[in-house]
Amino acid sequence: MIKTSANTPKIQVCHLGKQFNGKVVLDDISLEVARGESMVVIGLSGTGKSVLMKCILGLLKPDSGQILVDGEDWSTLDETEQLERMRRIGMVFQNSALFDSLPVWQNVAFALLRRGKSNKQARSSASEILDLVGLPGIEDMMPSELSGGMVKRVGLARAICHKPEMVFYDEPLSGLDPVMSDAITKLMRRLHEEFCVTSVTIAHNMQLARNFGDRIAMLLDGRIYRILTPNELDSCQDPVVRQFVDGRAEGPIRVLEG
Amino acid sequence: MKVLNIIGAWFENLLNHSGLYAMMLIQVLRKLPKPPWYPRQILIQAEQVGVQSLPVVLLTALFTGMVLALQSYVGFHRFGAESMVSMVVSLSMLRELGPVLVALMVAGRVGAQFAAELGTMRVSQQVDALWTLSTDPFRYLVTPRVIAVTMMLPLLVALADIVGIGGGCLISVALLGETPSVYLHNSIHFLTLNDFYSGIIKAMVFGSVIGIIGCTEGFHCSGGAQGVGQATTRAMVISAMSILVLDYILTAWLFQ
Ligand SMILES: Nc1ncnc2c1ncn2[C@@H]1O[C@H](COP(=O)(O)OP(=O)(O)OP(=O)(O)O)[C@@H](O)[C@H]1O
Ligand SMILES: [Mg+2]
Repeated sequence: MIKTSANTPKIQVCHLGKQFNGKVVLDDISLEVARGESMVVIGLSGTGKSVLMKCILGLLKPDSGQILVDGEDWSTLDETEQLERMRRIGMVFQNSALFDSLPVWQNVAFALLRRGKSNKQARSSASEILDLVGLPGIEDMMPSELSGGMVKRVGLARAICHKPEMVFYDEPLSGLDPVMSDAITKLMRRLHEEFCVTSVTIAHNMQLARNFGDRIAMLLDGRIYRILTPNELDSCQDPVVRQFVDGRAEGPIRVLEG
Repeated sequence: MKVLNIIGAWFENLLNHSGLYAMMLIQVLRKLPKPPWYPRQILIQAEQVGVQSLPVVLLTALFTGMVLALQSYVGFHRFGAESMVSMVVSLSMLRELGPVLVALMVAGRVGAQFAAELGTMRVSQQVDALWTLSTDPFRYLVTPRVIAVTMMLPLLVALADIVGIGGGCLISVALLGETPSVYLHNSIHFLTLNDFYSGIIKAMVFGSVIGIIGCTEGFHCSGGAQGVGQATTRAMVISAMSILVLDYILTAWLFQ
């Protein structure tokens, strides 16, 4: 048995490997996220950031390595226990993945409804969270009637409605305008400060990484290339990191041939 | 050689899929005894399967009964046994045409719908989202659908039996000059309860086949819109084939 103490990392990824049909996506990833910490993962498109997140959540089975949450390896548990543990987790999908046959409020309060909350209670919790993400009064709309940015925010609302202790954000700000982005970043920050939420965030937006990350991990070629604090992000002289942070096509990372 | 390769690949594919169906069936049976059962989902699906298939099913049954009466009249008229028409209609509706035709119609409607719905949910990651919201996607999506179609198909078949016999009666009375009371008496007099049960048991088997195949195709779908399209077609074709094959096996072994 592994003991949990105050300084066991909340999420611990050890030598994780994952390939698809012989194509190695994650090679050897080791990462630790402390309780209450916000870890931001950056990296080129297609390096496997979303795959890493899905492995942690048990949506994909890793080929090698181990993932411990609170010192416990969830992949060894049976399905019922895994689902029980999932209550502590919230996930914002890259494509939001709203249930398109359910109205917005049932989407947001989905976890609460499944736990036997009454419709009335669930609906009022949903309204509360929808207010928080700046979408009051859309409870009865269907997901197909929403704009891209609204869908993203409903996805966020759904992920945090059941007050999870760990939240996984896959590009929470994609499709949002700058003003709304700032507001949502502040909301996410508040979850950390008020509820001591632990989070892993995938970001392409450097401003989000700087403002929201306690530490920033850069993924490159299936490995963690560097882990930096937001301050180091600007001062780091490593050419790879510089190229990524400054967003230039020329440099040591080759994205387009020719 | 090329033809052999294609046949080989097709066969391998079929075997892989039958393995999936078997696994799905085992999982449904394994998960059935323990809650949660999501009764609301079962109800929603039962409505989808039962109520919405009603027009298609009843129309099929009506015209089948009618054409059956016409055709058997032509045959029996040749040796003056017109009174047998009613018995042929009711017997073939109950034992054979009711369950098989209804199942084929439902396979086209419901099996395809299951595959398309679950497939879309799979490729747009809604199935993954269920998991992260601590809901077992299998229990929430698959089990209610399989239960709903297994329960609703016998009901549809029972209705189809009645309407089919009614259709036969209509034709005999209106065109062939039989009196309704004689026709109905002849229909029912020669039947045994077993004729009815055998159709209902077939219907339950066909219902679970439609549910399992439709849900498996959708649940294990991959590859975007095209994948969903292929899953839908496969669900329809394979359940229709399985229904016909199983119908023979059930008839030959169980209900001689
Ligand atoms: N189910 C899958 N089957 C096969 N290959 C996959 C699958 N999922 C992901 N991949 C591959 O894994 C690689 C990483 O995918 P992933 O979605 O993790 O990228 P990402 O880092 O999240 O990119 P982005 O920033 O664009 O979202 C891609 O090259 C993709 O082709
Ligand atoms: Mg991604």
